[in-house]
Amino acid sequence: MRVGMPHMGNLYIPFKTLFERLDIDYVLPPVNNRHTLSLGVKHSPEGLCIPFKLTLGNLIQAAELGADTMLMPTGYGTCRLGYYAKTQELILGDLGYKCEMIQVGVSERKLFGILEMVKRLSNNAPWSKIIAAFRFGLAKLNALDKIERAVQKARAREQTKGTANRLFDAAVKAIDQADDYNTLKAIQTEYIDRLNQAAKNGHASPLIVGVTGEFYVVLEPFSNLDIEMELGKLGVEVRRTTFVSEWTKFSLFLNPLGVNEKDRIHQAAMPYLKRDIGGDGWESVGEKVLHAKEYDGLIHLAPFTCMPEIIAQNIMPKTKEDIPVLTILCDEQLAKPGMLTRLEAFVDLLEWKRRARNNGRQRVLV
Amino acid sequence: MVKIGIPRALLYYQYYPMCKTFFEALGAEVVVSPPTTQVMLSAGSSRVVAETCLPVKVFVGHVLSLVGKCDYIFIPAVRSVQSKVYNCAKFLGLPDMSRAVAPEALPILEVEIDVNQGKRSLRRAIYQLGRYLTRDTAKIKRAMATAWQAHLDYLELMSSEGLTPPQAIDRISGTLEVEAEAGSNQVISSAIAVIGHPYLLYDELISHRLIHRLERANIRVLTPEMLNAGELQSATTRLVGEAYWTYEGEVVGAGGHYLSSEADGVIGIMAFGCGPDSLMMDMVQRQAARLRTTSFMSLTVEEHTAEAGIVTRLEAFLDMIQRRKRKQSKVYA
Repeated sequence: MRVGMPHMGNLYIPFKTLFERLDIDYVLPPVNNRHTLSLGVKHSPEGLCIPFKLTLGNLIQAAELGADTMLMPTGYGTCRLGYYAKTQELILGDLGYKCEMIQVGVSERKLFGILEMVKRLSNNAPWSKIIAAFRFGLAKLNALDKIERAVQKARAREQTKGTANRLFDAAVKAIDQADDYNTLKAIQTEYIDRLNQAAKNGHASPLIVGVTGEFYVVLEPFSNLDIEMELGKLGVEVRRTTFVSEWTKFSLFLNPLGVNEKDRIHQAAMPYLKRDIGGDGWESVGEKVLHAKEYDGLIHLAPFTCMPEIIAQNIMPKTKEDIPVLTILCDEQLAKPGMLTRLEAFVDLLEWKRRARNNGRQRVLV
Repeated sequence: MVKIGIPRALLYYQYYPMCKTFFEALGAEVVVSPPTTQVMLSAGSSRVVAETCLPVKVFVGHVLSLVGKCDYIFIPAVRSVQSKVYNCAKFLGLPDMSRAVAPEALPILEVEIDVNQGKRSLRRAIYQLGRYLTRDTAKIKRAMATAWQAHLDYLELMSSEGLTPPQAIDRISGTLEVEAEAGSNQVISSAIAVIGHPYLLYDELISHRLIHRLERANIRVLTPEMLNAGELQSATTRLVGEAYWTYEGEVVGAGGHYLSSEADGVIGIMAFGCGPDSLMMDMVQRQAARLRTTSFMSLTVEEHTAEAGIVTRLEAFLDMIQRRKRKQSKVYA
């Protein structure tokens, strides 16, 4: 049995640790690139969203590398995601790959479901070993996300363009190699210090722009054409609530205990959207309302034809909380020049607004 | 008398008799928007972002057409009518989205239907709905029962007599059937099944009167409503296992059933940008490819669809089916 899984950001790193520590034979498809996309687009039904196409591309590449057991998330009441695994299984079968699809439930049984799946894959390794591996994987995930937050701050402020990205790449490699908690902690501390240093040496008071929207396109840089990096180049600090470590915290751990930070976001959205509409639609509206005072603007990312995000897109302009929102639809037709043009125009708009606000204040003082 | 407006779009085709009975039993008058026109579609389109699917644009157009003609517009949020099987996001967001894009359409009467929350929660939701019209709990309870029976009768009428939703609604309301059985004196050449959501199939503007065209060509048209719940369920299970979406039966179930039974061909209608259909129609297409016994055509409709395109494809499809039948009926000596 050889396990394969799709990519989403740096998620492969904690999973690698998990597989290696439990002696599970695995193979990782190459990080998302144009070949992945063209494979996915070629074999997907037309109207499907980019997360499906990219993950299908990943799975096909994994199958070509010999994977026969595929891990795909699933769940009910979660937009189209719950239908992906069975469709992808059919497509892989039609293409001649013999694979078993293991659907990792993300809406029910959560933590326990994932642990049970891991036990099965590891040929019944003892629970102590599984929990230990799981905990270490989670530690890596947390480290990656903490470092990424520092990167978002540093990108906007760094004096030498590209410092933060270089540090991020090095940190990711180092974390991938790390094999014990002490090394991991040392890496985390070192890189966060260096990133904070880079941020301190640069220019202060960048614009603050939030990024929200559908889970996958927010977290997978290839699907959003590295939008956070581009915003960093324009001197913008990106703030994001969506991180996989946040999701695991609130879905795997705190949720079973009944605490839900997401409630704050939902409460904020209530006057405009009263209920969960699947996917991240409720959160998209809520984030605009919740962070309107803190953000200068908001980037709303969604795959083309994403149902919940289209509802959110229709509702967002009508909120009293009035910050500029730029919706960018991600799919195989999204091209960098077009996106950059829009980002530049958006950032210009935010700059003018900020200047106007500051001038207004000065007038009052006089 | 309080007037309640019901848009003739989306879930109208599934639940109109039930809603009408409920509101009338509580003493209200029910007003329905007129059949879809191009003007209504344009009005609806202008209020929402371009990527919104066609049926929702049509729905908004219907909501706008009811402004000023009633005291409340009824827009339910149907989350789930079957355990663990959920509806497309558009249905869930419908009341809030309508409020956002059509602020003049207030007040909106809304109710959330979710059977996963339990019977008591469901009953409470419907009581709250009834409260707008009366404080008499017993009256609301009776209205619920009568409405449910009306719904069951409606489903039975369609499956036993092979009527389409508009025909069944006309029959129940006692209005004349506008469409006489076309070509009833002429020889039926083949049986074609049309599958898809009723708000696409029976909306004459969206479907470009597909069913009417087929009937005019002496084709016996088979629809998802002609099948009963059991048949739809078993066909769905055969194709995809457990249903995932609320209205999966009318695409996957009907498609699966007709591909393996009396239909000479199956036409699937879906709206461009429809999330669920992009997967469901693909499932049916794969099944057709696997079985190789029945021809299948998928038609995608959206605002810019020109009638000429649909007609051309329809003619080609029917020609193909005729050729196949002729080939099959040739006797080789």
